[in-house]
Amino acid sequence: MIWVETIVNGVLYGGLYGLLGVGLALIVGVMRVVNLSHGEFIVLSAFIGVSLLGVFPWIHPLVLLLPVAVIAFGLGFALQAVLINRVVTRPDPFAAILLTFGVAVVMRNLMVEVYGADLRHLQAGRLAQASTGIGDLHVGVLPLLILALSIALFTALQLLLTRTRFGRIVRATADHRDVVRLMGVNPGRVYNLVMGLSLALASVAGMLLAIRASFSPYSGVERLLVAFEVVVLGGLGSFWGAMFGGIALGVAELVGLRLDPNAGPLYAHLLFLVGVLLRPNGLFRVRA
Amino acid sequence: MSGGPRRGYVPWSIVALGGLAIVAAPWVIGEGALRFLSEAMLMLAMAQMWNLLAGYAGLVSMGQQVFVGLGAYSLFFASISLNIAPFWVLPVAPLVCAVVAAIVALFMFRLREAYFAIGTWVFSEVVSLLVSKTDRLGGERGVGLPTARLIDPRWLEPLTFWISAAIAIAAVFGTYALLRSRVGLGLMTVRDNDVAAASIGVDVWRNRFIAFVIAAAGCGLAGAVSFTATLYVAPGFAFDPNWVVAMMIIVIIGGIGTLEGPIVGVIIYFALREALTVFFGLSAGWYLIGLGIVAIAAILFEPDGLWPLLRGHLGGDWLSVRREPPAPPRIATVTPAVEGVRSSASGLGATPGDR
Repeated sequence: MIWVETIVNGVLYGGLYGLLGVGLALIVGVMRVVNLSHGEFIVLSAFIGVSLLGVFPWIHPLVLLLPVAVIAFGLGFALQAVLINRVVTRPDPFAAILLTFGVAVVMRNLMVEVYGADLRHLQAGRLAQASTGIGDLHVGVLPLLILALSIALFTALQLLLTRTRFGRIVRATADHRDVVRLMGVNPGRVYNLVMGLSLALASVAGMLLAIRASFSPYSGVERLLVAFEVVVLGGLGSFWGAMFGGIALGVAELVGLRLDPNAGPLYAHLLFLVGVLLRPNGLFRVRA
Repeated sequence: MSGGPRRGYVPWSIVALGGLAIVAAPWVIGEGALRFLSEAMLMLAMAQMWNLLAGYAGLVSMGQQVFVGLGAYSLFFASISLNIAPFWVLPVAPLVCAVVAAIVALFMFRLREAYFAIGTWVFSEVVSLLVSKTDRLGGERGVGLPTARLIDPRWLEPLTFWISAAIAIAAVFGTYALLRSRVGLGLMTVRDNDVAAASIGVDVWRNRFIAFVIAAAGCGLAGAVSFTATLYVAPGFAFDPNWVVAMMIIVIIGGIGTLEGPIVGVIIYFALREALTVFFGLSAGWYLIGLGIVAIAAILFEPDGLWPLLRGHLGGDWLSVRREPPAPPRIATVTPAVEGVRSSASGLGATPGDR
C-alpha cells in the first residue's frame, strides 16, 4: 500500500513538474530558444507571492495566483522585448542561451540581496493539511487540486494554440518566422506575448511549488533543471509529452526518496540521463 | 604553399622577462598578492578550456564545474589514501577527468546546443549529489587535506603559484598548438559550417570529442590545484555552478573564440572584483550582479568581446590561429583593376577562420 501511495503522490507531484516545464516547452517550440532564466522566474514569482502576502496577509495564496501570473506575464513580455528579441535572429544559436544565462546570474544574486538566502515557504493554511482517500489510500487535497489545475492549464494552452486566431499566428511564426511577415505579422511581437505566456505558466507552477516545498534564491537552478528535463523527456516542444515527462520525474523522485531518504532529486536526474541515453528525442515524442 | 600558417609573433625577450618574473614573484610580492595571482592563473586556465569548447568546438558546457570538482576530489582521494604530498599525485586529476569526459561524451554528444549545455549541467548535479552521499569522500561536509603537511609550509604558496602559472601558460599555448593542428582546423571548419565540414570529410564527432576531453582534463587540473591551495574540498564548493559562471563571463567579456580573449577577460574579471568588493566594499552578490550586467551588455552590443577592439588599437597578429586561405580563382581576371585588388587582399584582415 505504501508503494501505491508513493506512486500516486509521485503522479500528483509530477503534474506540477509538468507545469514547471510546459512554459519552457512553449518557448522551445516557438522560438527554439532555451530560456536559462526560466528557473529564476519560477523562484521570483514565489517571492512576489511572499511579498504580496506580506502586504495582504488575510488573502489565501491560491487567490494570488492570478495577480502573480499577470505580473509574470509583464516581466516575460519585457524580457523578450528589451533583451531576447535583439539576439533571437542572430545566426549564432548560443547568443540567446548565454544572454538568458546572464539574466539568470543577475536575477539570482539580486534575489539574494533583496530577500536574503534563507529557505522560504508559502503557507496555505488548513488546505495544506487536508487529505482525502479511498480505503487505506490517503492523498492530500491540495496536491489533487494542483494536479487538476495543471490539467486545466494544459488543456487551456492546447485550445489556445489549436483553436484560436492567436494560436494559429503563434504556430505559423514557429514554422516560418520570415514568411509570416508577409501576412502582416510581427514575429517580435508574437515572441513577446509567447514569453509572457511562458512565464505566466511558470509563475503559477512557482507559486504552487512554493506551497508544497521550501525555496530560496538558489532554487532556480534546480527548478530550471527539472523544467528542462520535463521538456526533453516529453519530446521537444510537445505539451502533453511535457505533462507525462513531469509525471515520470515526479514518480522517480518520490520513489527514490522512499528508497533513500536523503537522495534529493538524484533519481529524477538519473531517470533523465537514462532517458536521454536511450531515447534522445524524448520518451513521448509526438512530432518534431 | 600559400595556405601555410602565419606565425603568431611573440618576442623572446618578453618570454624571458615573463618567465623571470614568475620565478621571482614569491620573493618580490606578499603572500596575499601571490595567492590572488594563483587564483587568477587557475581561472585563466579554466576560462581558456571553456573558450576551447564554446568558442572553437561549438560545445557550450554548463556543467564544466563537474570536472573542477572531480579533479579536486580525485587529487584529495589519491593524496590521502597513498599518504603522498598532493603535488606529486597531481596527474591523477586530469587523468580521472579525461576518462570521465570520454565516457560522458558518448551519450552527451547525442544532445545538441542548448540540450548539451543543460545535459552536462544535470550530469554535474548528479555527480555532486552522489559525492554528497558518499561518506568515504566526506559526504556533504567535505574533506580536509592532511597530507599538505608533507610539504614544507614555507614552500606551499610559492609552489602553488608556480604550478598555477605553469597550468595557465600550458592552457593558453596548448590551446594555441591544438588549434594550429589538424584537429583545430577541423574544429573551426565545424564551428563555421558543420554541414560543409562534414561534406569535405571532417570527422565532426572526433574533433569535438578531443576538445571535450582536453577541456575536462584542463579544468580538472586547475580545480585540483585550486582546492589544494585551500586545503579543503566540499561538494557545495567543488561543484558550484559559479565556476562555469565565472568561465563564461570571462570568455564573453574578453572575446569568445579568440585565445587572447580569456586573458583580457580574466584581467577585467579580477579588476572588477577587487574594485567592487575591496574598494567599494560591496558583497560578493553585488559583484556577481555587476558581472552579469557587463556580460549581458557584451552579448548585446559587443558579441565578439573586448579583444577584437583592443587588437584593432594594438595592431599585429598576437596569438592568432588564422591561416591564409589559398587565393580563390578570380573570375573577372580580364579587368585590369583586379591586379590591385589581389595585392591588397591579404591586408583586408577579414580572412575566415578567425573571430
